[in-house]
Amino acid sequence: MASSLLASSSKRALVRRGPSFAKSLLASRPATTQSSDALYVPGGPVYKGTVNDPTSFPEPSRAHGSHHWSFERLLSASLIPLTGAAFATSPSVHPVLDGILGVSLIVHSHIGFDSMLVDYLHPRKFPVLGRIATWTLRTATVGVLVGVYNFNTNDIGLTELISKVWHA
Amino acid sequence: MMSTRALGLGSPLRKTLFSPSLARNPSLIRTTFAKRAVQTESLPPSAAVDILNKQRLLRPSSPHFTIYQPQITWIASIANRVTGGALSALLYGFSLAYLFAPGTFDSVHVVEFVGTLPDTVKYAGKALLAAPFAFHGLNGIRHLSWDMGKFMSMKSVYLTGYAVLGGTAISTVALPFL
Repeated sequence: MASSLLASSSKRALVRRGPSFAKSLLASRPATTQSSDALYVPGGPVYKGTVNDPTSFPEPSRAHGSHHWSFERLLSASLIPLTGAAFATSPSVHPVLDGILGVSLIVHSHIGFDSMLVDYLHPRKFPVLGRIATWTLRTATVGVLVGVYNFNTNDIGLTELISKVWHA
Repeated sequence: MMSTRALGLGSPLRKTLFSPSLARNPSLIRTTFAKRAVQTESLPPSAAVDILNKQRLLRPSSPHFTIYQPQITWIASIANRVTGGALSALLYGFSLAYLFAPGTFDSVHVVEFVGTLPDTVKYAGKALLAAPFAFHGLNGIRHLSWDMGKFMSMKSVYLTGYAVLGGTAISTVALPFL
């Protein structure tokens, strides 16, 4: 008796509240959390969505995952024989080897710098500074590639330079 | 419900509960139903996020790496990054300098400049270059061997770590005299 009364009254309440209730449910998905008075602190915690939203993960991708990883290792490993060969041979006789070593060193350096930026200045935490740093690195790497190309074509090449400076 | 009916109390109870006089007496309802002492406020979820964010900013930071004992495991790891970064910075610095001022940073001028330096500076400079080069190269091999699943035990990690340090020390002394 009492329970049926309760059920009927709550049902009535729900019906009466219906449209506004549905509206508030829809409105409970704000687009951003940046409407907040709590200012974003660079390097501080990362807030994504509302408090009840689960953590989102990036789409799994082999290009960003295993292939990228294998490429990095292969490049790092190939630098060992490349450096040894550059030590052993004369760069004026093997300019291609000098060129491959130069490009490999630049790509290896770029990956290293980029992983530092990803670790310490990620755009997720530093939306402005992180992006500036990433694009500065990319620009610098292009400039370095051109610079090394110029040096290896118009001058004596990196290996010969190191050898000459070492015995200067 | 069954018991009230069994005792014959169903009808009087119902009568009392739904009597119009009771419904028309607000003071009786107020005293019968407990008053809510806590003031509540209906907030949208975005406000909840605001509150949480403000609280998060007041939280203490978790202890940083300074609380950890210096160990060859993590010291060598960060040294690998530092030495690699330093060597790469040199490569980038020289290449960009040559790109923008090839007349100043060509090999002839660079070699000439290094030749004018006193021997002590030359050997110190070469040692300063040899140390990060040797460490990054040797420790790089150590990292690659880990990537292949070798030397993963704690003992091996320390053993290879000390081997890299020893190799670096020997190379730092030997390479300047090459």
